[in-house]
Amino acid sequence: MVRTEPLPPELRAQNLEIEEIARSAGLDFFQVIFELLDARDVNALAAYTGFPVRYPSWRFGMEFERLDKGYSWGLSKIYELVINNDPTYAYLVRSNSQMEQKLVMAHVYGHADFFKNNIWFQPTERQMVSVMADNGVRVRRYIDTYGQETVERFLDMALALDDMIDPYLPLREHRKRKAPVKRRATPLERARRSLDATFAGRSRPEPEKEPNREAPSPERPAADLLGFLMEAADLPEWQRDILHIVRSEAYYFVPQRMTKIINEGWASFWHSRIMTRSLLGASDVVDFADCHSGATASQPGQLNPYKLGIELFRYAEEKGMDLFRLRAVHNDVSFIDAVIDEEFARRSNLFLYQRNPRSGRMEIADRDWRPIKAQLLSSLTGGGVPQIELVDADHEGRGELCLRHHFDGRELQLDQAGETLKQVARIWKRPCHLLTQAEGSPLRLSTDGEEISRVETAEAAEDAAEGGDDRLAG
Amino acid sequence: MHRIERDRSRFRQIVRGRLRKDLRKYLSSTELLGRRGDKAVSIPIPQIELPRFRFGDNSKQGVGQGEGDEGDAVEGEAQDGEGAGTAGDQPGQHILEVDVDLKELAEMLGEELQLPNIEPRGDRQLSTEGGKYTGIRPTGPKSLRHFRRTYDRALRRVIASGDWDPAAPKVIPVHDDERIRNRKSVNKPESSAVIFHIMDVSGSMGREQKDVVRIKAFWIDTWLRSQYDNLEVVYIVHDAVARIVDQETFFHLRESGGTKISSAYELFLDQVLERYRPEEWNIYPFHYSDGDNWSARDTERCVGLLRDEILPRVNQFCYGQVKSAYGSGQFKKDLDGALGEEEKLITAAVDDRDGVPEAIRAFLGGGV
Repeated sequence: MVRTEPLPPELRAQNLEIEEIARSAGLDFFQVIFELLDARDVNALAAYTGFPVRYPSWRFGMEFERLDKGYSWGLSKIYELVINNDPTYAYLVRSNSQMEQKLVMAHVYGHADFFKNNIWFQPTERQMVSVMADNGVRVRRYIDTYGQETVERFLDMALALDDMIDPYLPLREHRKRKAPVKRRATPLERARRSLDATFAGRSRPEPEKEPNREAPSPERPAADLLGFLMEAADLPEWQRDILHIVRSEAYYFVPQRMTKIINEGWASFWHSRIMTRSLLGASDVVDFADCHSGATASQPGQLNPYKLGIELFRYAEEKGMDLFRLRAVHNDVSFIDAVIDEEFARRSNLFLYQRNPRSGRMEIADRDWRPIKAQLLSSLTGGGVPQIELVDADHEGRGELCLRHHFDGRELQLDQAGETLKQVARIWKRPCHLLTQAEGSPLRLSTDGEEISRVETAEAAEDAAEGGDDRLAG
Repeated sequence: MHRIERDRSRFRQIVRGRLRKDLRKYLSSTELLGRRGDKAVSIPIPQIELPRFRFGDNSKQGVGQGEGDEGDAVEGEAQDGEGAGTAGDQPGQHILEVDVDLKELAEMLGEELQLPNIEPRGDRQLSTEGGKYTGIRPTGPKSLRHFRRTYDRALRRVIASGDWDPAAPKVIPVHDDERIRNRKSVNKPESSAVIFHIMDVSGSMGREQKDVVRIKAFWIDTWLRSQYDNLEVVYIVHDAVARIVDQETFFHLRESGGTKISSAYELFLDQVLERYRPEEWNIYPFHYSDGDNWSARDTERCVGLLRDEILPRVNQFCYGQVKSAYGSGQFKKDLDGALGEEEKLITAAVDDRDGVPEAIRAFLGGGV
C-alpha cells in the first residue's frame, strides 16, 4: 500500500460524529475506512482509478502526469477518493483544511450509501481491492513470461474495446442468480475452491459461462463483444485471461459511468445538508460556502454533474418525492427522466446549444424543456459511448464478425472506428465488418486486420434501419 | 508511490519515441490553461489517445446551464468526460507558452544524448569533487559522531567488563568508544573535449538555412556546455575562406560569397594539430552547410582530408546539411558515397526547423 496513516485524533473524533449524523439521517453504508494521504499520493491513486495495485500500464502514468501537472500548477485538486468496496475505502488529502475534511467526509458517506443501496451497484464486486490486486499479479506474471511489450500491446488492444460491454448484463445476471437462496460457502468448500483454483493456475475462478448463450444474430444482437471474444476467439490462455481482466474491471466501473450525476448529486446533497444542519461552526461558514460553490459551479456551456445532481435532488424533495427511493432505483438516464420537467429546466437555467453553421460558434439554440431533456437523455444513454452490437458471428458463413452501430443521428469518427475494428479483427483472427452511417448514407467498414475498405451499401442501410426499429421495440 | 513512477517513466519514454514506436502516431499535445500572476499560461500535456469507437465532431450539440438568450454564444464548449483544465474566460488574450517546454526539452536532451565514443584523455584527468562521509576515525568533531558504532563499542566494552545487567541495561559511552565520521574525497576521472562548430555562411545559405543551422548549433552547444565541465568550443565560419570567430559572431554573422569547404577543413586540421592534440582531447567537429560546394575538385579534396587526416584524429565527425533552394545538396551525397563506411562520420539532412531535433538525435544519440 501507499504510505497511509490512521486519522489523527481530531479527525477521528469528527469522523465518528459525522458517521453518527449520517446514520441517524437514514444513510446506510458499509464500514467506511478513511486514510490520510499526501496530494501526490492521492493523484497517483486517482491515476490508478482508486486502486493502488493495478497492472502496470503507461496509461496510468499518462493520467498521473496530467493530474500531477494540474495540481502543481494549481489548476485542479482532488479533495477525496472513494472506492466502491466492502469496507468502503476513502482517501483524504492531507492538505485539506479542517472544514474541507469535514465536508469531504460527509460527502463520502453520501457516496458510500449510494454504492451500497443503488440497484446498479448491486452486482458489482465488493471485494474489488483484492480482485484488482489479483489481476495485477497475473498481468505481471504474463509480463515476466512473455515480455512487457507483448503483453502491453495485447492489453492496449483489449482496452480499446473496454466499453464494448453490455451495461445491463450484470443486473440481469444478478437477478437470475438471486432466485435460489444464497448460501454462504462453508470454510471447507471455500478452501477446496481456492485449492482447485491454485491448481488450475489462476487464483480466481472464472465466471461461469452462460450455458444458454445463443449465437448472436440480427434478432439477438450481443452488446457484450468483449465477453464474446473472451469465450469464442481462438486465443492463447494468457490473452483470454487478459480479456477477462479487462472485461471484469470494465463491468466494475460501468455503474459509476451510468450514475455520475445522481451519485455526485446524492453525495453533494448530503454533504450540504449535514454541514449546514449539524456541523458548521460560525467560523466555517464562509469557507464552506466557498468550497461548496466551487464544487457546484458550472462553466458556461458545461454541465457539472455535482450541480445538476444536487439541484435535481432538491427539486425532487420539494415535490415530495421519496429521495431514498430515487437513489435506490435510478441511474442518470431514468433519474433525469423522472425529475426534469418544465419548471426545473426554467429554474436551473438549462439550455440547448448547437453550432451555428453561419458563425461557426456554439450558440444557445433553445430554452424549451422538451428538446433539452431529449438531448440530455440521448447523450447519457449508454454512458455516452456509441451503441455497437455484434449481430452475426458467422457472417455469410465465413466465420467473420459483423457489428452494427445503432445509429441515433450521431456519426462515428470513422478513422478511429476503422482502427478499432482492426483490433477486433486481430483478436478474432478473421475479417470483421461494421455497419454504420456517414454523411447520411449507410456504410460498411470491413477489415482483415491490416487494410480497411469502405463500401456504401443498400444492405447496410436496411440493417441499420432494422437495428433502429429493434431498439425502439425492445 | 514507486509504481506510478514506473508507469510514468514508461509513458515518458513512449512520448519520446524510445519505446512502442507504434504509439507515436496517436500522440498529441493538449494543454492545461492556467494563470501565473496576471498572465495566462499554457501548460502542454502530452496525451496518447488510442482509437476506439467514439462519436465524431459533426454531431456536436449539448445541454448547458446558465444565463443567456437564444443566439448567444456559448463559451468553452462542453466536453464529454471531465477535464482538469479550466476554459479561458477572457477571449482574445495572449497566451504564453510556459517555459516547461524548454525545461523539458533540456531534460530530454539530458536523458537521451551523450557525446559518443568519449574516452578519458589529457592530463587534466583527475578532479576532486565534494567528497562523502564514508570513513571512520577515532577523533573529530562531536557533531559527526557515528552513533551506532559508538554505541556498539560501548556495549561491547560494558559486556566484556562484566558490568552488563540485563535488568538495568545502562550503557554509557566513554571517550575511547567514540567513532567519528570522516570525509573521504572522491576522485572523478574527467575527460577533456573540444567541440568545433563549422558553419557555411556563403551566399547560397539563405536566411532560413542559417537560422536552422544556428538553432541546431545553439542546442548542441547549450546542451554540451551544461553536461561537460572541461569543454572547449571553437567556432569556425567559412565561405571561400575560413576563419575562427567568437560565439557571438558565430550566431549573428551574415555574410555571402562562394563556398570552399576545404578551407574550413584545413583550418580545423591546423587547430587540431597545433592546439587540440588527439592524445589529449576528445574532438567533436560539427559541420553545417547547404551542401553546395564550389567545385567537384574541392569536394574531392575534402573527402581526402576527411579520410586521411581528420577522421583518424576525431571521435566523431558530424555533417548536417540544410535543404536550400539554391543548394544542390551534392556534398552529402559525395560524402556518403565516398565515406559511407566510416563509422566516425555521421551525416544528417535537415529540411526545416522541425527536423532539428531528429538531426541532434542522429548526432548525439549515442549509438542508440
